[in-house]
Amino acid sequence: MSLLIDLFGYLSIVLHGLTITAQSMMLGGVLFLVFLARPLGASVGMSGGPIQAGTARIAAWSAVALILCEGVSLAMQSAVLSDTIGLTVRQIAGASFFSAALVKIAAALAIASALFARGARTPPTTPGGALLGLALLELAAATLTTHAAARLEGREWLLAVEGLHQLGAAIWIGGIPSFLLALSLVKDGRSFSAIGTRFSRLSMIGVGCILVSGVTMSLMYIGSWQGFYGTAYGVMVGAKIVMFLSLLGLGLGNYRLIDRLGRNPATPVSRLKRFAEVEIGIGVAIFFAAASLTSVPPAVDLTQDRVTLSEIVERNTPVVPRLTSPEYGSLALMQLQSALDAEAAAHRAAPSVAFVPGAGVLAPRNAADIAWSEYNHHWAGLFILAIAVLALLNQAGLRIARHWPLVFMGLATFLFFRSDPEVWPLGSIGFWESFRDVEVLQHRVFVVLIVAFGWFEWRVRTGKLRSAAAAMVFPLLCAAGGVLLLTHSHAIANVKEQMLIELTHTPLALAGLGAGAARWLELRLDPPGNRIAGWIWPVCFLFVGLLLLSYREA
Amino acid sequence: MPRLLPFVVIPEHALTIPRLSRLVLPGLIAVFLLPVVAQAHAILVSSVPAAGGTTQAGAAVLEFHFNSRIDHDRSRLTLVWPDHRETVLKLDAGTDDEVLASHSELVPGAFTLRWQVLAVDGHITRGELAFSVAPAKGR
Repeated sequence: MSLLIDLFGYLSIVLHGLTITAQSMMLGGVLFLVFLARPLGASVGMSGGPIQAGTARIAAWSAVALILCEGVSLAMQSAVLSDTIGLTVRQIAGASFFSAALVKIAAALAIASALFARGARTPPTTPGGALLGLALLELAAATLTTHAAARLEGREWLLAVEGLHQLGAAIWIGGIPSFLLALSLVKDGRSFSAIGTRFSRLSMIGVGCILVSGVTMSLMYIGSWQGFYGTAYGVMVGAKIVMFLSLLGLGLGNYRLIDRLGRNPATPVSRLKRFAEVEIGIGVAIFFAAASLTSVPPAVDLTQDRVTLSEIVERNTPVVPRLTSPEYGSLALMQLQSALDAEAAAHRAAPSVAFVPGAGVLAPRNAADIAWSEYNHHWAGLFILAIAVLALLNQAGLRIARHWPLVFMGLATFLFFRSDPEVWPLGSIGFWESFRDVEVLQHRVFVVLIVAFGWFEWRVRTGKLRSAAAAMVFPLLCAAGGVLLLTHSHAIANVKEQMLIELTHTPLALAGLGAGAARWLELRLDPPGNRIAGWIWPVCFLFVGLLLLSYREA
Repeated sequence: MPRLLPFVVIPEHALTIPRLSRLVLPGLIAVFLLPVVAQAHAILVSSVPAAGGTTQAGAAVLEFHFNSRIDHDRSRLTLVWPDHRETVLKLDAGTDDEVLASHSELVPGAFTLRWQVLAVDGHITRGELAFSVAPAKGR
């Protein structure tokens, strides 16, 4: 159990991100069904029924996903409370989070049952009022597990604002999958225009809810400019704002296209669909950032150890990259092991082990360790820069540069040897033994993923893999990586040094998302949009490479 | 201030920068990152005795103020004595929503107080603080 608890800490955040995503898609689907698909059912001809059935299907399956996520989350929390405090099931069941989770599960179950009642291919007949009532119940229960529920002051007011925020996200972002489905089912310009116009209006309401609640929560939870740039909470809100603005930009593009569609039903709608696809991806990233936010204390509560502007400038001022590695023997752990060995030899005893993977006690660190790490970052930056430059040359027409994914192989090899110097192959800790350290395990998984990603993309680039789905692996993994980076990149106790790292890798996460979105659009948009997008993602890689090259730890 | 993961006590040295950066690096490269970075929800705002502080031997009140409303029935204070004995403290009733309090008869030496709280919004956070107990004056 003690080993699993480490994983629970990480899984709880991923689960929360999935839960928020499922909840928003469920609520968004219900709202789309009640306020768009049904009212427009008659005016979009034969497509009306399938749109309603499809929307119901999205909402129902999202409800199922919500039930699963909430159930697993509830079980995990209960297991931790039972194991660490020795509470009985009855005692745990008395907690407010437990009641809230049960209400969410019950409401989602009722929604799924109602929407699936007539089969997945038939439009549901459940009255809109009943569906909205269940959605409202689930939303109310969800707000009881937000920061607002535990605040000492202004609790009721904040609960209402949190509810409004989640509602806005559900209306707008949660409705996009249904919108996309509807666009794929209609064929004529008038139907496109009718659906697009109505969804634009719904979206505006959603954006209004998000703006009003977002500004209010920022004032209440962040409170000052220094809280914004000097705390993990503020930085994560900043990342959410950037993503929100990019969504607004895409939404504005769609709004203008729908406006043109109203005047000329023959306007092509391909871009509308492609932008909506990217909006879903960015929306999910926002939900994961939101999940991170719920597990960190608001900036106003952290009054010490905030990072100042001068510290940010000082740390991020580029220096000459460190391209020479410190001696392996100068690392703190190696020196400690040497000392232990010498002591044991003096006493003719078996030497102690300086570091035991998975024991919870981490290896000591010294200046050489910092140099080792900076060296790793800087060389990794060079690898990424090489990838970016080759990709740009490839875009410019240099055919030989299409082999850029192979550079990932070199990067993977580099990381395999350098990431964890204390374990095999460089260190004395054995290959299998090292897997007890969750961090080492993660590094090994990353190396495998890098190899797989590079190999896969290389085969796509060289024409050995020709399916459209295969080409999608690149943007999806890029975006997924950005999302995961956002999810895990914040420090909580507001320690300055952790914050300074946060400030470095949040832009990297956003660049990952940007690269994924751009590559997706390159593959999916019609000319000339795809050509423009094709230049954007290598620039994102270039940005990542430069950031890594200027990375500093001291 | 202790740095925390939900559900997990993280040793202070676990969160040093080099360690974090080593987590960040491979993820940045692969753009797949799963680092274990410190997180917490309820944080300790103040305490008696303070972290790293000293109190006198004898009957002592132990009081912990958090930034969130705490579920008292599902939270725990554990006192680790100088001889590494552990005692689960009985929480005082009637304290404010954000306060956990208890009392104990302390002897001179180095103590650690481990706390685990369930915030009303469902987040579990744990941490610990060390303090010393000096011999009572006049003894």
